[in-house]
Amino acid sequence: TAGNRIFHFGACRVSMSMTEIRAGFTAIKANIQARDPIRTLSILSYPHSLHKVKSSDRCCITHHLFNFYVDRVFKHCKTEDSYVNRKISSIANSFLSVRRKLRQCNEHNQCMCGQESTEKFKQILANYEGLNVTSAAMKSLGELDILLDWME
Amino acid sequence: SGELYCSLLNPRNVRFESVNMKNVLHWSAPEGTGNGILYKVKYSVYGVGKWIRKPECRNINRTWCDLSSETSDYEEQYYASVKAFLNGMFSDWVETTRFNPLTDTKIDPPMLSVSSTEKSISIILTAPAKWKNSPEEESISLLQVYPGLQYNVSVLNKKTKKRWFFSISNHTLVVPWLEPGTAYCVSAQIHVTTPLLDSDFTKEHCIATLKDK
Repeated sequence: TAGNRIFHFGACRVSMSMTEIRAGFTAIKANIQARDPIRTLSILSYPHSLHKVKSSDRCCITHHLFNFYVDRVFKHCKTEDSYVNRKISSIANSFLSVRRKLRQCNEHNQCMCGQESTEKFKQILANYEGLNVTSAAMKSLGELDILLDWME
Repeated sequence: SGELYCSLLNPRNVRFESVNMKNVLHWSAPEGTGNGILYKVKYSVYGVGKWIRKPECRNINRTWCDLSSETSDYEEQYYASVKAFLNGMFSDWVETTRFNPLTDTKIDPPMLSVSSTEKSISIILTAPAKWKNSPEEESISLLQVYPGLQYNVSVLNKKTKKRWFFSISNHTLVVPWLEPGTAYCVSAQIHVTTPLLDSDFTKEHCIATLKDK
């Protein structure tokens, strides 16, 4: 479909509706980020940016992050605003299909995890678990553009 | 004894205005206030603890502050904040929303260069450069920042009013099989698919194909 992008992680190729996800996030970005009062901590970028991850570890960290968003973020981001909720579920659906493809790559040993990506993901989970679930999930959702910018 | 506590109304509409990643903080004066108000500005990198004062924007009476240098790393995101004060009274700090230079900048139209032969027009397009700190600094094209950057080009036959649209990734376009001795007008815009960023179209560049020999 229009706006689909093919991401190459070595032998693993994943198609993703990036334009659709970006549009969905842009529509709710101000609303979601306004719910996150904590300026001093980033879930994805603390202490080091995703941009520091070695390219050989990109598939693994991407796989971890898509699992993270599906299992620990979207489901904890219910708001009182039905428009925002619809956008969140639309993004979640896109993430579900990408996760499925990344899982297939993993099953075919095309998405190997090095120590760096394992350490980086442990840090992300530590940042997440340092907050209560709703705050952590909302902050993670507000950082979706950090993930998308890094992927692109 | 109670301390008399006078506060000033807050600055309004505090936001970043960004073009080609020249990132300038703008705000409006507090409502109903006249002259004499001064402001100070601070900024912070999202995820990092501290606020940093901008010395060049301390005790200023203008309502903007250029933070391009402080926000030039587009792998980071930022907040900025403004406080107003007058005769010992002062407002709250008023913050921007989170600013992402990569997705929240506006891109200028491309530069266009057009030439013609008898039956074709050649168009060379140049994407604008990212803002830079000083003329000596190396210029970075926005093409390097947005690898998916494309050009949408429109070509109009002034006589027949027929228009063609092209969407190209490289920076040159040759339009063949045109009518000799005819005026054509070219206009172009920059289109980035993700994040979705479109420049305005350039003004029209008109040129005539050479007459038949």
